[in-house]
Amino acid sequence: MTIQGVIAVNRFGLGARPGEVARLSADPKGWLLAQLAPERDLPAPLRALPSTVDDMSVFFKWLRQVAVEAKAHGMDPYNLRPQGAPGAGMAGGDSGFSIEREYVKTFIPRYAKAVKARFDTAVATERPFFERLVHFWVNHFVVSGAKPGAIAMPPSFERDVVRPNVTGRFADMLLASSRHPAMLYYLDNFRSIGPNSKVGKDPALRAPRQPEAFAVPRMAGLNENLAREILELQTLGVRSGYAQADVAGFARVLTGWTIAGPPRVPLLRLVLDGRLDAKGLFEFDDEEHEPGPQSVLGKVYAQSGVDQGEAVLADLARHPATAHFISAKLARHFVADDPPPALVARMAETFLATDGDLKRVCAELVTGPEAFDPVPRKFKTPEDYVISAARALPAFSTDPGTLLRAYGSMGQAPYNPPGPNGWPDVEGEWLGADAVWKRFEWASQAAQSVASAVIDPGDLASDVLGPSLSKATAQAIARAESPAQGLTLLLASAEFQRR
Amino acid sequence: MVTRRQTLRYFGAGLAAAGLPRAAFAAADTDKRLVVILLRGAMDGLSAVPAPGDPAFEAARGGLALPNPLKLDAMFALHPNLGGMKGLYDAGELIVVHAAATPYRDRSHFDGQNLLENGSAQPYGLDTGWLNRALAQIPGTGRPLGVALNSHMPLMMRGTAPVTSWAPSLLPPPDGDTVQRLAVLYGETDPVLAKNFANAQGANRVVGGGGDLGARAFIGLMSAAAKFLTTPDGERIAMVEIGGWDSHVNQAGAFSPLSTNLLTLDRGLAALKSGLGPAWKDTAVLVVSEFGRTVAMNGTQGTDHGTAGAVFVAGGAVKGGRVLADWPGLKPADLYQDRDLRPTTDFRSIAAGVLRDHMGLHGAQLAAVFPSVAPIKPRDGLIRV
Repeated sequence: MTIQGVIAVNRFGLGARPGEVARLSADPKGWLLAQLAPERDLPAPLRALPSTVDDMSVFFKWLRQVAVEAKAHGMDPYNLRPQGAPGAGMAGGDSGFSIEREYVKTFIPRYAKAVKARFDTAVATERPFFERLVHFWVNHFVVSGAKPGAIAMPPSFERDVVRPNVTGRFADMLLASSRHPAMLYYLDNFRSIGPNSKVGKDPALRAPRQPEAFAVPRMAGLNENLAREILELQTLGVRSGYAQADVAGFARVLTGWTIAGPPRVPLLRLVLDGRLDAKGLFEFDDEEHEPGPQSVLGKVYAQSGVDQGEAVLADLARHPATAHFISAKLARHFVADDPPPALVARMAETFLATDGDLKRVCAELVTGPEAFDPVPRKFKTPEDYVISAARALPAFSTDPGTLLRAYGSMGQAPYNPPGPNGWPDVEGEWLGADAVWKRFEWASQAAQSVASAVIDPGDLASDVLGPSLSKATAQAIARAESPAQGLTLLLASAEFQRR
Repeated sequence: MVTRRQTLRYFGAGLAAAGLPRAAFAAADTDKRLVVILLRGAMDGLSAVPAPGDPAFEAARGGLALPNPLKLDAMFALHPNLGGMKGLYDAGELIVVHAAATPYRDRSHFDGQNLLENGSAQPYGLDTGWLNRALAQIPGTGRPLGVALNSHMPLMMRGTAPVTSWAPSLLPPPDGDTVQRLAVLYGETDPVLAKNFANAQGANRVVGGGGDLGARAFIGLMSAAAKFLTTPDGERIAMVEIGGWDSHVNQAGAFSPLSTNLLTLDRGLAALKSGLGPAWKDTAVLVVSEFGRTVAMNGTQGTDHGTAGAVFVAGGAVKGGRVLADWPGLKPADLYQDRDLRPTTDFRSIAAGVLRDHMGLHGAQLAAVFPSVAPIKPRDGLIRV
């Protein structure tokens, strides 16, 4: 076992399963590079999840049910708020209406199933670096279930947008994200209408076409949300030189990028009529698109229709600021909170030289001398902490509800970051008194749940931590009064929490 | 600028003190309490505190103007869901500050929050929080005087002064023997984990066990904050946050997310006051968001990211019953960049006024809390004397 083997499996992977450090220690770098290949089949736990169409339509079906119920109670169906979304972190005043309970009943089991599938995939995977990259990109192109209407959408977004493009071109992932109904919904673009478009100028076209229970007349106007977050969070990065006029220009470019279905034709109707498939969920609606050339970052885009947006996205994807932003974010995620500038520069160079080939950029990430610096500079996020413990402990199992509560109490509900900037990625956010305690509580429970299996905590510690195991921790584990206590100390140890 | 490595070293130096049980400390370093509530997502100040007395208000706000606001004076009113806060105002325990903003003039939530929390004039200008630097000015014995009611540590509370954090738990506490052994192991291997582990044990003693599910909500966290602040040798400064203010869509209406959030804020403040009991008279509460929102409605019956908004200063120690506003007006020509409420009050002057007159910080100390080329002038008269 080598320290490089431990680093590969901890810093770039999801923690060692028993025997893993020994197996890959001969060629840790080769083990990482071999994972930078497309996924041949979707992992089994993910294949069991609902289809994209189902994910997209379930919320609208629920809305109609709620509208019917609200009307029956003489309430305004448009001003009811579903609450109790996981990860929302708060509950507001009680509307006194069963909408909240119904929301929880309808969506929590669905959400719990998706989180469990993500957990099972991560615990079982033999390509943990690839899986870490999936998690990274899901936290970059964020669709969060913390927005009630988006609660069912993140798993299908991950499957359609992220997994196929992890080792492909950044431009392809950006375009797939910007066209995906989950993103168009989460960042409101499906409602953004060019004021001078045909629909923008004619109120009759904005009136509901069908007397659906939840169809409302629409306003004509821009919503800047998606345009701003693509610039700020997904490509160039904030403070990279774009101005409010660029946000507005880009927002006009993106008008008409919408979801097949609402609000022009109620999605529910399409679903019920069986006229919808996943491919058809994106729609470019020329009648909502702001006509004319637009200026973004000093360049005039004179294209018409959907070509205009595709041209802007293509330019953003190969912009030097994007190359730097993505490279620094990857290096910060894997290597150090303050990423080594030389490493970031080499990755950004590779990004630009290969037109955003993520396979090559990630290869650069694990090839340089910084990658195997023996000083651990990262503190595991709560989710990675739980996954790595489950990988280390033979015979560990958990049910979806318990898993959700564990993530919730540690402050990181997967698929539900509070905002479109995703979960924070630095130690200062995750290492506080409450965080340390919650991990310890969970570790203690996890250890007790497997302690009846025949596990020698000392052997397991040497196996999964290899040469990184300190003498003090090894001794504390050896002197534990019970296997459960020994395992608890292993999981709570600094060596297990840092990487 | 304090680097992360320096911070780690300071943490290490505080170790000896952090390991001691709470009872070993003398009485509280100060009797004054301060609570900061951070509204993440940019609260629409003109919904929370409309200005129906401004002749331009109705035209500017259109469908966003709510019927039946709670009238404060000839110009301003409160959102109908802020009934509890109206009560505080009438009792002289609430100041509304309007057209207030941090120095941030762009429209990124995350940069805006970072700047608000770091207390400088730049996003990422400092990597410690202003509330932590304020804590560092209060002479102490090494025990944490600050608590974040949170499972992670917000930037506003990060820095060299010892702070703790607490959020409710769903799991039974591990046995005491394992706690002891892990404390020893951390002491030998990792000072940062050791310090935080000791602080967590202290916090658990205050709240008494794991708390309950209901306490996960903002209102429950406010009640828990009151427990920390009323413990004889407990914390004196608490930070609580509540998200969900980013009302791009359908924000008007009695049950919109914005209206619901305002009701939650109102009830949370009531829970804090009730939990503090007699300590309320020694308490000031600052309620602030990263920026305000556009004055006009956007294309989706909501508002987009803006600039100035409303700040609240509440508490028994506050000389309230007033709206402080150098009102910029709502006519199109009055707006900042033709779209936002123009900022006329620097949030830092409000916070500095509270820190000086309530927490007793003076000139050089305030300059450390809010470093600025032109010193921040604390607002006079926010606190009863």
